[in-house]
Amino acid sequence: MSTSTQSSEKKKEEKPMKLEDILQSDIWNVDEDPHIIVDYNKCGNCKTKPCVYLCPAGCYVLSDNGIVFSYEGCVECGTCRVICPLEAITWNYPKSGKGIFYRFT
Amino acid sequence: MNGLPDLPTKFDVIIVGAGPSGSSAAYLLAKKGFKVLLIERGRGLGDKNLYGGRVYAPPIREVWPQLDKEAPIQRWVTKERISMVQGDKAITFEYKAEKKISFVSYLTQLTQWMSKKAEDAGALFVTEVTIDEIVMKDGKAVGVRSGPDFIEADVVVDAEGVNRLLLERLGIVERLKPDNIALGVKEILKVGANNIESSFNLNPDEGVAWVIMGDITKGLPGGGFIYTNKDSISMGLVLHLKHSIDFIQNGKFDEHVSKLIEEFRFHPYFKPYWKDAIISEYGAHLTIEGATHFMPQKFAYPGLLIVGDAAGLLLSTGYTFRGVDYAVYSGKLAAEAVEFARNNGGFTYENLQIYDKNVRSSFMYNELFKHRGAEQLMNDPILMSKYPSILIKVMEKMFEGEYKQETVYDALMQALKEEKVGPFDLISQAFGLVKSI
Repeated sequence: MSTSTQSSEKKKEEKPMKLEDILQSDIWNVDEDPHIIVDYNKCGNCKTKPCVYLCPAGCYVLSDNGIVFSYEGCVECGTCRVICPLEAITWNYPKSGKGIFYRFT
Repeated sequence: MNGLPDLPTKFDVIIVGAGPSGSSAAYLLAKKGFKVLLIERGRGLGDKNLYGGRVYAPPIREVWPQLDKEAPIQRWVTKERISMVQGDKAITFEYKAEKKISFVSYLTQLTQWMSKKAEDAGALFVTEVTIDEIVMKDGKAVGVRSGPDFIEADVVVDAEGVNRLLLERLGIVERLKPDNIALGVKEILKVGANNIESSFNLNPDEGVAWVIMGDITKGLPGGGFIYTNKDSISMGLVLHLKHSIDFIQNGKFDEHVSKLIEEFRFHPYFKPYWKDAIISEYGAHLTIEGATHFMPQKFAYPGLLIVGDAAGLLLSTGYTFRGVDYAVYSGKLAAEAVEFARNNGGFTYENLQIYDKNVRSSFMYNELFKHRGAEQLMNDPILMSKYPSILIKVMEKMFEGEYKQETVYDALMQALKEEKVGPFDLISQAFGLVKSI
């Protein structure tokens, strides 16, 4: 850990980026309707909450009131559906060509 | 918008999913003169596809002999690297291969190429259509439904991929469980062709496939990968989901997965390869570990053939991963089964069962069973953290002695003692590992 206060102007790429900044590299055509529905009643009983750590797009955020889910930045991998211990997630692919749009990968 | 555009209402074959397996089946069936409909949920061809980065060519050449000349190949893999990492320390093996067996490609481009070929061969292609259901009548698949629209077919080919929503809805497979599934997270880093060739010491069309073990995943069972594209690097992590959940439950992992990949990107041993690179894309996809447990009970059902990832046809040995070539090859077998049925009196279940039989007698099935113990061992948290650690310790004792250097034997014995592994455990576990991977 550096304790130096002489902060040299660092380029943006020189330190690990936050997920929200990394996701700026991706393109979506966001659906008006969510393709994933979370049953928050079940989330209240979940101790592990693996979705908060393992959803690669960070769609599941832990707040004071429990899980907050947003589908907009979803990369459609399906991880949340598979890992949810209480099967609280109704998961579908987006309709009509909506969702993430990969160019390389 | 949710349904299908105006189309003929009856096809010989409907293929759900225009990935490598679906496109291959569509291409071959169209060439054989079948009326084929290929349905893709993405906006464009290939735009939902993601994998690690490397494709094995020989099985694909059986479908596309023009692969080497025409396909969007980024680089042929001529160097295989395997690294074991602990903290900033690393051991790397490199093998310079002679034959060009595999290549690196962007999967979106490769599947675009394949599905365009299918279209050119006469397959009808629709995009932006998500299929809700494979429709069954009297125990036989008779078509597909999207929203209110139904389209009929003699045979449905399920090429929906690893998230088998349609097969689950039919009750053919169970709900996906984390036990045989891993999460792949990937970044594309633009670095420039010259930088790649000088830093990896490569000729212009050559590339590297690199597997990374050790604490690059912070103890989570899984590993890292690096593949060289023409002017970019594909890098990322694969994390076994069941073990990851266990780690979270036991309080051994409490970070976001994106932090792991960013720490990998800034790891001092790897960072120089992509110095100053910008992230061109970030993505994730599920992959199969433990194919033999993931497979459906049968590959053919009345009116229905299951291909590619949906069929569990993906080999993961820990150091090689083969999904695309298996997908293409299963698409080929499916097309051949449909042709066989047509030439032998119709699309009866009895005739279509030849697909099931041919998958089971194929090299894929044989390979998947031969390596079936590998994923278990490669994902064993103890095994996979202890052995890299022992090797690193041996190296440390051999190379980092300031005044004295240990003999290899002493270094090994000391390292085993420190990691609490007996020499006999080492021999038997190493044997078990070598036998299955």
